[in-house]
Order: sequence, then C-alpha cells, then structure tokens
Amino acid sequence: MRLLDWAVLAGSLVSIVAYGLYKGRKSSTLNQYLLAGKTMPWYAMALSIMATQASAVTFISTTGQAYVDGMRFVQFYFGLPLAMVILSATAVPIFHRAGVYTAYEYLENRFDPKTRALAATVFLMQRGFAVGISLYAPAIVLSVILGWPDRVTTLVMGALVIVYTVIGGIQAVTWTDVQQMLIIFFGLFVALAMVIILLPGNVSLLGAMHLAGAAGRLNAVDTSFDWNNRYNLWSGLIGGMFLALSYFGTDQSQVQRYLTGRSIAQSKLSLLFNAMAKVPMQFFILFVGAMVFVFFTFERPPLLFEESALRQIESGAMRAQYAPVKARYDRAFERRRQAAAELLDAERGPASPLRPAALENFRQAQKEFDTARLAGARLAEKASGEKDFNDTNYIFLSFVTHYLPAGIVGLIIAMIFAAAMSTISAEVNSLATVSIIDVYRRHIRTKGTDHHYLWASRLATLFWGVYAVIFAQYGKNLGSLIEAVNMLGSLFYGSLLGVFVLAFFFRQVNGNGAFFGMLAGEAAIFATFKFTAISFLWYNVIGCLVVIATALLITYAAPSARAGITPAALRPPAPQ
Amino acid sequence: MPDEPPPFLGAWHRVYAAVLAYLALLIILFYGFTRFFS
Repeated sequence: MRLLDWAVLAGSLVSIVAYGLYKGRKSSTLNQYLLAGKTMPWYAMALSIMATQASAVTFISTTGQAYVDGMRFVQFYFGLPLAMVILSATAVPIFHRAGVYTAYEYLENRFDPKTRALAATVFLMQRGFAVGISLYAPAIVLSVILGWPDRVTTLVMGALVIVYTVIGGIQAVTWTDVQQMLIIFFGLFVALAMVIILLPGNVSLLGAMHLAGAAGRLNAVDTSFDWNNRYNLWSGLIGGMFLALSYFGTDQSQVQRYLTGRSIAQSKLSLLFNAMAKVPMQFFILFVGAMVFVFFTFERPPLLFEESALRQIESGAMRAQYAPVKARYDRAFERRRQAAAELLDAERGPASPLRPAALENFRQAQKEFDTARLAGARLAEKASGEKDFNDTNYIFLSFVTHYLPAGIVGLIIAMIFAAAMSTISAEVNSLATVSIIDVYRRHIRTKGTDHHYLWASRLATLFWGVYAVIFAQYGKNLGSLIEAVNMLGSLFYGSLLGVFVLAFFFRQVNGNGAFFGMLAGEAAIFATFKFTAISFLWYNVIGCLVVIATALLITYAAPSARAGITPAALRPPAPQ
Repeated sequence: MPDEPPPFLGAWHRVYAAVLAYLALLIILFYGFTRFFS
C-alpha cells in the first residue's frame, strides 16, 4: 500500500461514515430509526438489498473460486430471480399491510407468540453467528497487505460500522449501502479492466477466454443432475430458489430493507431490480476471477497465495521438503505457460489441425500444475498441523496488491471494505431490531415509550456491534468463507421458510402445527447435514417440506385446535 | 396500504413474466458461453 492507496482508502471510509451520520441525523422516533419512517424510494432499497447480500466475502472468495474451480458458482444465483418474483407477489404486500417491524412479528399475528419467539430465536442464532464471519473477512485483507493482526482490523471495521449504525439507524445503513454499492461497481469495472490490460501483449481478450475455457474456468452452466453436486443448473434453480426465498423472505436483515419502502410498489421494484441485476453481477465477479487465472498462466503465481503459510514452510521443519516441491511447481508452471502459448498459436489459425493436440497438451499441463500446487498445500498442512489448507480467499488480493498500480489498490481495498461494512451494518441493525421488537418490547418491557424503545434500539445496536467484533476472532479456519456463510444459513433457513409458507398459503394450519413443524424441520436439516452427503443447497428444500408436512399432520391430528381458528385470526392486522 | 400498478408494462403479472423471460435468456446465453469456450 502506497500513500495514494492510503489516501483513497481513508477518503472512502471517512466519506462513508460521514454520509451515514448525515443521512441518519433525523432518526428521532422508533419508526424512523428502524423503518426510516417508510419513506425509502425503490432504488435506495434495491442497492441496499444488493449491498447487504454482497459481503466482502463475495469479492474475496468468489473470484478465488473462479480461479480454482471455474464459474459454475454462478448457477447458485439462478433461483434468485424466481424467488424475487414470488416474494414480490406474496411477502411484500403481506408484510407491508401487516404494519410490522419484523417478519417474526407477523407470525404472532398469524399463529401464536411461541411460533414468533422460536422464529426470532432461530434468526438471532444464525445471523448472530454470520455477522462474526462477515466482519472477519476484511481482516484477511489487511493481514495480507500489512501483516496487521486480525484483531486490529476487526476492531477498526467494527468501530466504523458501529458509529453510523448506532447513531443513524436504518436510514444511515440504507444510504451508506447506496454509496458503498457505487464504490463496488466502480471497483469491479476497474479490476476487470486492469487484469485485461495486464495480460501479455499477444493475448487478446478472446484468446484469454479460450484459455480459461480450455482449463474449465468458464463452465458457467452444468446441466447434469447430481444430488451431491453443489453447483449445477438444477440445484441452482431449485435449491437456489429455496435459499433465496428463505434469505430474502424470512431473514430480517433483508426483510427490513424492503419494509422501509414508501409503498408496496416501491418495495416490489427494489426486489425485481435485484432479480434482474444479481445474476449478471455474479457472472461479472466470477469472470474477473477467471481472467486472473489467465493472468497467472503467464505470470508465475506464488506456490501458495497465503504468504504467512509460505513463510512458515520456508522457515520451519518443512524447509528441506520445500525445495523439491517448489522446483516441481516451477517446472509445472513453465510447462503450462509453454502449452498455453502453443494453444493460443493454434487457436489463431483457421481450424488448425494442431489445435486438438495443443488443447490436450494444455489440459495435461494444467493437471500437472494443479498437482504441484496441491503438494505445496500438503506441506502447509504439515507445517501448521491443520487439515484442509485452502488459500482461495487470498488469490484475488494477492493479484491486486502485487500487480495493480498505486491508487487502484486503494480503490479495490475500499471496495472490499465497503462490501463488508454494508453487510455488517445491515446485520447489526436487524439483530438489534429483532432483539427489541420481538424480545424486549414483547416479553420484557411491554409498555415503554417510543423514546425508551428508540434508545433501547441504539443500545442493542451497540451490543450487537461489539458482539460481532468479539465473535470475529473465531472466524478463522472455516475454509472458503462464502460457502461457510451460505452453509450456515442453510442449516436454519429451511425451517424458517417452511413456517412462512404455512403462514401465507396454509390457512388451516394452527400455531401448534407451525411451532412443532419448525422443530421437526430443524431436526430433519441437522440429520441431513450429519448423516448424508447431500449438498447444503438442498437443506432448505428438505427443511421447508418437513415443516409443512409436520404442521399439516399435527393440525389434522388435532381438529379441536384447528377449530379454534377464527376468520379474524387469519386476516393480517390493520396497518398501524 | 393499497398496491399501485407498476411504472411500466401496465400490470405486475406482466412485469413478473418479463423477469422470468429475462432469466431464461440469461441461462441460455450462459449455456452457449460455456459450450463455446469449452
């Protein structure tokens, strides 16, 4: 990091905090603090929804995934537009008309207090865990660049977020999300432009794409069906749809974004904007990672992208074994570079007869290179004593910090910080909202003044911010972070989705059915996680279906309880 | 709180259909992209 990089980074962070404080300065009632007085336009909500989902992990890990595994991860998002359409037609008008602060508040109107309490508890558990991971991710950035301890980074990040989120509430969160998303878009375009510019002069963009494709890095769509295959068209469309339905329809960190809309139509438009923009955006991020792969086909990458792991090998007991592994890696790199050059030459001629042989030679060289890199990873595992060494999260940052010019490095780092801060602020804001609305105001102090609950919300926001900083210390060793976050959500989302599907579409189901259905759904998900190899994307489907089946069974097995439901109880309450 | 019509296409169900058609188009394009470069 050079002086210009520091200036760009510091300027970006200061402007985010200042803008958040400015936009949130009028939050003087509970409704303004938690729902922005329901005044938000669609574009602010749309970018806030997008920024909340796109964490720092999205940029750090997704680009790395494209480098090692190709672009098939994009299929994970194919179900998102389907979910957005369903939610626009169902959840958005229902939540708006119910006049609720949280999604779980609606469950008490529809079912009973215990179902609301269970759903709120599930949310607080899983989102409370995830917020720590969201905060830990940027710590990787500075540990790579500066060798700073993770604790310093998480403290600085957490403190910045806490300042504007505690003071300004959701208005500060939403408008800073807009600003952060603009930084992210700009940073993404600059990153792609730079990696293309830095390719060797004889490698065109089309040639780079042919190379990436030959190495399996442009595998955006896989139509084969396999329950255990995490990313294919079907798991993306079905599993991805259920995950998106759960995340955007039942997770307060997202529901609260579109509850701030000044009308139902504005909230619908914010979701539909994401339906249109999210898949291309993920494709774009993955494409950046694929081009970084091509860049490192001609520029020798380090044996391991995690520099601290490399230093540990070079200076520790594995030092003697390092030299032959490194020599093998260097030979494999040279062979792959030569094979890539030959393949590009063969591609240039019209239907060259040399092409099939050059393609096969390149693929073989890529396999040898991967094997040599794996040997380095094994050394790192032996040196550290830890299993499953994974440096995927360091690949993009290694490229940025070693090859991009002054100023651009600061911009990309600011982009990653912006992404992290937007996610963390929304998570902290929503955790505080559920803590106050579904726990404190509902069970502890039921007759406080608006002013009292406003300050209680501020204190709760402060609590969750501090909690996130402390929890972030345990974010290490979770493998690829984005998968850890998504997998964690999938352990809880299925049952949450199930109970909301019951609320919206199964009018005959009673509170007991919903409550015990949720418990059964959660048990089914954990059993699937523990005893099967089924991909986590399917957990939401399984959990949701078990909740519905169990709830129907209980409701019909206890007709007396069902008879207790009055038509009035089935109607959402009047807007407040 | 009444639902308003969308600012384009006249009715929400048409907007939803347009979004789904757009998704189908994206998947077809990505599939072609995958096949072409593999």
